[in-house]
Amino acid sequence: MLKILCQQSEKDVAGIIIVYYRVMDYDMCRIDYFISGITYPDTLKILPSQGQKLEQKVVVGDKTGVLQCLTIRDEEPVIQFKTLPGKPITAVQLTSTNGTQPDKIFAASGNEVKGYTKKGKVFFSIETALSEPVTSILYVSRCVFGGDLILCSGRTITFYRDSKEHQSYVCKDRVLDMAAFITPNNAKVRLLLLIAHKGAGILENGHLVAHIAISSGPSRLATPPVAQVAEIKCFYGAADGSVGIITYEETTLSNNCLVEGRGLGSVVCLGWFYSNANLHLAVGRNDGSVQLYLIDVENLHLKPRLKFTYFSGEPVTSVVGGCVGTDEGELLVATFSGRIFALRSKFLIAGSVTKASHENLAARRSKLEIEIVRLEKQTANEREKYQRNSRSLQAGLSTPPLLDIEHKMSGATREGWQEVDITLAVPLDMLFIYCSKKLKLLTDSAAVLSVCSSQDSASDLLATVRCQAGTRRIWLRLRVASTNSTVLESTRVLIYALPTGAPRVARLLSIKLPALPYYSQHEEFDENNDHSIKSWCQLHVTGGFSVAEMTFWLSDILPGDLPRPASNVAFLRVHSLLGTKLYCQYQRGSAVFKSNNISTVSSVRSIISNCSIDKRIRVEISCDIPDDCCLKSFKLIENIISIAYEKKNQVTLAKALDLLELDTKAINAEKPVLCKEYYTVLKNSESEILQSNFDELIEIVVQWYLDWRSLSVNGNNTVDQSNKLCALLKDYKLDDVTKVLSELTEFNHTCE
Amino acid sequence: MNVSTVQPVFKLELNHKVNPGIVTLAKYDGTHACLTASAGYDKIIIHHPHVGAISGRAQRSENHREISELNLSQAVIALAAGPLRPDTNRDILLIGSPTQILAYDVHDNSDLFFKEAPDGVNVIVAGSFGKYTKTLAIVGGNSSVLGLTWEGNEAFWNVVGGKVTAMITFDFDRDGESELIVGSEDSFIRVLKDNQFVAEIAETGPVVCLSVISDVRFAYGLANGTIGIYEDGVRLWRVKSKQNAISLQWSGEALACCWSNGRVDWRDGSSGRVLRRVQMRASAAAMLLADYRALGTPDLVCVSVRGEVLGYSPTQESSGFNDTTKNPATEEDRLAITELLNKKQALMLELQHYEANAASAVMPDLEDDRPTTAMPTNTRLQVAVVHSLDEGCLNLAISTNNETIVRAALILAEGIFESGETLARHPPLSQIRPILHVPLHPPRDVPVDVHIKALVGYPNSEQYHIFEMTKQLPRFAMYTMNYNATNRINYNSSYVTFQITERLQRICIWANQNFLLENELELNSEDAKEFHVNLTCLRDQSTLDMNFNVDGNVKITTSDMRLAGDLVQSLAVFLNLTDLKSTANFVEAEKKLREEMENASQAGEMRSRLAAETAERAQLITALLPAAQDAASYDLKEMLNRYKEVVMLNEELIAACHVRRATQEHAVASLKTLHTILQQAARLRVGKYSKAVVSASRNAVKENNVEALIKIIQVGESL
Repeated sequence: MLKILCQQSEKDVAGIIIVYYRVMDYDMCRIDYFISGITYPDTLKILPSQGQKLEQKVVVGDKTGVLQCLTIRDEEPVIQFKTLPGKPITAVQLTSTNGTQPDKIFAASGNEVKGYTKKGKVFFSIETALSEPVTSILYVSRCVFGGDLILCSGRTITFYRDSKEHQSYVCKDRVLDMAAFITPNNAKVRLLLLIAHKGAGILENGHLVAHIAISSGPSRLATPPVAQVAEIKCFYGAADGSVGIITYEETTLSNNCLVEGRGLGSVVCLGWFYSNANLHLAVGRNDGSVQLYLIDVENLHLKPRLKFTYFSGEPVTSVVGGCVGTDEGELLVATFSGRIFALRSKFLIAGSVTKASHENLAARRSKLEIEIVRLEKQTANEREKYQRNSRSLQAGLSTPPLLDIEHKMSGATREGWQEVDITLAVPLDMLFIYCSKKLKLLTDSAAVLSVCSSQDSASDLLATVRCQAGTRRIWLRLRVASTNSTVLESTRVLIYALPTGAPRVARLLSIKLPALPYYSQHEEFDENNDHSIKSWCQLHVTGGFSVAEMTFWLSDILPGDLPRPASNVAFLRVHSLLGTKLYCQYQRGSAVFKSNNISTVSSVRSIISNCSIDKRIRVEISCDIPDDCCLKSFKLIENIISIAYEKKNQVTLAKALDLLELDTKAINAEKPVLCKEYYTVLKNSESEILQSNFDELIEIVVQWYLDWRSLSVNGNNTVDQSNKLCALLKDYKLDDVTKVLSELTEFNHTCE
Repeated sequence: MNVSTVQPVFKLELNHKVNPGIVTLAKYDGTHACLTASAGYDKIIIHHPHVGAISGRAQRSENHREISELNLSQAVIALAAGPLRPDTNRDILLIGSPTQILAYDVHDNSDLFFKEAPDGVNVIVAGSFGKYTKTLAIVGGNSSVLGLTWEGNEAFWNVVGGKVTAMITFDFDRDGESELIVGSEDSFIRVLKDNQFVAEIAETGPVVCLSVISDVRFAYGLANGTIGIYEDGVRLWRVKSKQNAISLQWSGEALACCWSNGRVDWRDGSSGRVLRRVQMRASAAAMLLADYRALGTPDLVCVSVRGEVLGYSPTQESSGFNDTTKNPATEEDRLAITELLNKKQALMLELQHYEANAASAVMPDLEDDRPTTAMPTNTRLQVAVVHSLDEGCLNLAISTNNETIVRAALILAEGIFESGETLARHPPLSQIRPILHVPLHPPRDVPVDVHIKALVGYPNSEQYHIFEMTKQLPRFAMYTMNYNATNRINYNSSYVTFQITERLQRICIWANQNFLLENELELNSEDAKEFHVNLTCLRDQSTLDMNFNVDGNVKITTSDMRLAGDLVQSLAVFLNLTDLKSTANFVEAEKKLREEMENASQAGEMRSRLAAETAERAQLITALLPAAQDAASYDLKEMLNRYKEVVMLNEELIAACHVRRATQEHAVASLKTLHTILQQAARLRVGKYSKAVVSASRNAVKENNVEALIKIIQVGESL
């Protein structure tokens, strides 16, 4: 029996969907215009006004491939044109073909790009012959400049002139966004690129002329509309939620972080918004917030002032300012699920409301109500038909479309926690998580996590996360809960997402927790310049494997995307906690791994050997371990250890102080009862949760020693020495540790 | 789903930390409310904004002008206040410490009474119910409730199944007389009327708060985060949150709920929908209703653990940012449009889903290129519950009617799983079948609603269909029928017998309703002489025999006295019996009773001896300490020696304290077991006979008369 149960409302109806306003200087309220399909980032644009008319048109492309152009009259959408469905529209760009105001619309769906006039006529169409197959066009951004059409798909940036491929450039990693600038003297195009994994670069004449690594991980660019043509200045929004500015002056790129990303969702889109002749940067984030920052046009490097924040409850994909509904500017917002609404100043609303517009609004409401009644009837009919089917003897096949869910996995930060960010278009009811290993789990404070008792084997994890009503985005933090610190394989986690309402289907998301989740940071690497690498531990693997196979094996080890297989691949990853590095270089039949972290080399060795056995490929593995590697690595992280130790002491102190139950008088009075140090600790413990990873660091160092023993000498009697080391570390006798480490290595020498 | 925020009407700082839950409001002078709270281990603070400083034992606080501090020598567990004394309308402060209760008249600075509470103090309320017209101090202990008059005399006493965690007086049965509603740790809400429990509502977790809403409704909150409202004994709604409710109050035509993390929300009384909400800056300590502004209407007073007090008026003038005064209609229209578009979006999505079905209904069923979301349209899900004697559990069998498989099953139910609220099964790939078994172990005999969510599809699917079902497990689902005749001999000598006047057919219906049976029970013939049921408990394989004779004689044979009581109560409700007398014989319970009585009396002796020793040592210390201080002025060596003695004595004191604590814990545990047995004995009877058991056993316990107690268990009275 296919039964669609009307669920008892047993969850907290209070939810994130609440629309609340945090008034800074502005007071804006939401006006809903219309619904489109699922939208991708930055696929909503506003066409500039034409001639005398102030009213501007809105263009939006969605996942169903429909590009629609609308005007808003009395808050009611009026469709100007609408294309037929097709492949998902992943990018929309406005451009001018005659040098004046942009009046043409370009939309990319799949590997096809079409140009539309503002009347909806296709004047241009190109089926790109990008060498990468359609699957690789994960993200297509495009700019149009003069007669050049620049497309980027995956890692490739292709220039088209007169509908013919003119030039192309392949980046190291996915290109996230780009902005174009004309060089002052000649009409050459400079491209500012944002490359996945924290890179930004300037592309000129098919050459990358400048490059910079930005640690916050910029994901989106916005060129200020006031910038001089000669300048290359561009705002960016980053994955960690921060906002900054990139400047290119005299062949150097520089980065300036303007707004810290503290606790805010990652930036999905940026836009510009004028209000009272002031320029604002609008920021849309994946946690559903829209923020307006006031920009000083005289000095773009000044810290923008936060003026307004709005929570829409679902990830925001586009924000753009314009005069859509009225003569005054308003901020148009598109969400992932396809809600298009405006944020309009309250003051304006109050002023502009006339009796006529009030009547229009009421009419619109009743019209919608009628439509809903009709839809409800239709849905009820269809539902009945569907259920009738379930009772028929003739089995048809029910194939509902896949739920629109996107998920993103981040590299580990501290204690090996890895975060999965799940975004979906329909409200989520539950997540069901299964893993064959025990995991530790954390989730949003608004959701109820319940770990179920195990199945027969008792080593598996079954957990459910019950979400609040209206949840469309949720994060999970996962960590393998194993007793020994080294994990020698990746862990597969199955997540089933169960939405609240119809359709009653659960989508399966499968994610992999890599064995070395900490190596998530990318770094540029030049083998010739860095001499220290010569003294690192090395691992050589030779055998009958292909580059694709090696990439697959490495996907078990390293988090995030790996470079696409090429004839020769080389990259460097950095441990996000310790700062130790792992250099990988491989080609068909041979691979070299270098690291200044011996445990890393040891893990890579074990995993590659396991993988090759699974694949029945003969490989030969050899290690080259310098004797002083433990000592060197220890020197490297000594500073980190001392900070952690200090933190640990503070935690202990804060706990003790908390037990004293000092009343407010003792803390706040002019005559302090506590000494200054204690007072600071107590204050800190109130404002933030103190944590220390000192114990974790000790384990790492001891593991280094053990791995060094097992890799360089076939170690026996390691227990005594590792215990001794452990005890010294616990007592924070760093000098003694250094001594012991160097002694031990020397001792080893003499033994040999 | 628009939720607005609320602005407080007053705000003040107590400058003291406040212990969560131990807060009350009292009119010590009969007119002005004073916030009274426990601040720290043994300190009580009284905030008196309208009255001058309180004299007597209370001292003016250094931190706050309008606060007086009251120091006790014992931990403060519970606070309550009420006009106990019949000659005045002044509120008397009731202070509960772990083993004592003190009634203190703050205004007069005099103690009304000081009483030992051997069963501990968890909750105190001041109120009157039933035939008690005067205000009583009602004390909830570890397994009992005790009513005390203003002179400290015992007005009533009764046993409760678990630790008492919440109490209110409320007219449950609408007869114009209040009853006492008791929430306990064993997840029951019980109704005490005329010193007899007349109703029992099984909940899914320890009850932490209860609150009267109107003459027919009351609200409850559980330790697992559930809150809800009962109307006439029927639950209107419930919602579950991650936080625990600290307090529930009815204010401004809405149920205000204060959560432990400092969030306060106002919910619609009939649906539980959130109307307004605020978030305090710190965790919440309490929420009370009080006319703190002296306006005549009670405000909602919220207290945080940091001592911040916020008052919310019951009438919400629309305030804050959602100011709709200018254009209410337009604003409302806009909100409605947003809401309508929400609805439209959801409906369109559902339609899309059906359209995709219609389009693919004609697709050939090829194994290879089957889409990863496919499922035959005529798939159905069947769920059956079967007993599994070998595994000692109930087996939930979930199966499909075709080649599709059950990938995973989520079982949602409350109170029957060891951890959390869900049980999940996700078989490994090699073992996925069209059928999935899920074992269930309900730990207690209450009816349970089990919600099942099954994910059905093909083994390689990327998207599964969710099938949802609700199955109700009857109260005695964990007992399986013995059809095997050889098992019918029951050597168990523990039983309860009683006499009823009811046709066997009716009994048969009762059995069919309350037990999970493979085949419906039927009487052999219309004029059958007896009706016999033989069952085995899945939990411990013990047997349960029920014999109903046509002459009305009933004999229930089981070694579990609690089960016997449950069966008697269930039968009594079904057959509408007001009174039932029974004879019982539970050897094990009697043996246990003897042991516990022995334990309890020993613990009592031990305690008084230890208390004497402690007092002696404490006296010594008070003498030695000044001596040591004196010595400091002339002889340092002497001083050191004396301090050493103090330290030694102190250590002895601490050691003795540990011993005392252990004895105390032991005594409390014994007492609890004792009370549990007595409660079970009471449950073997119904109505006045049940009441008789309680009052008789209370006397017997007081007199330490073990034989009388056993007699009570057996025949229901001591004579």
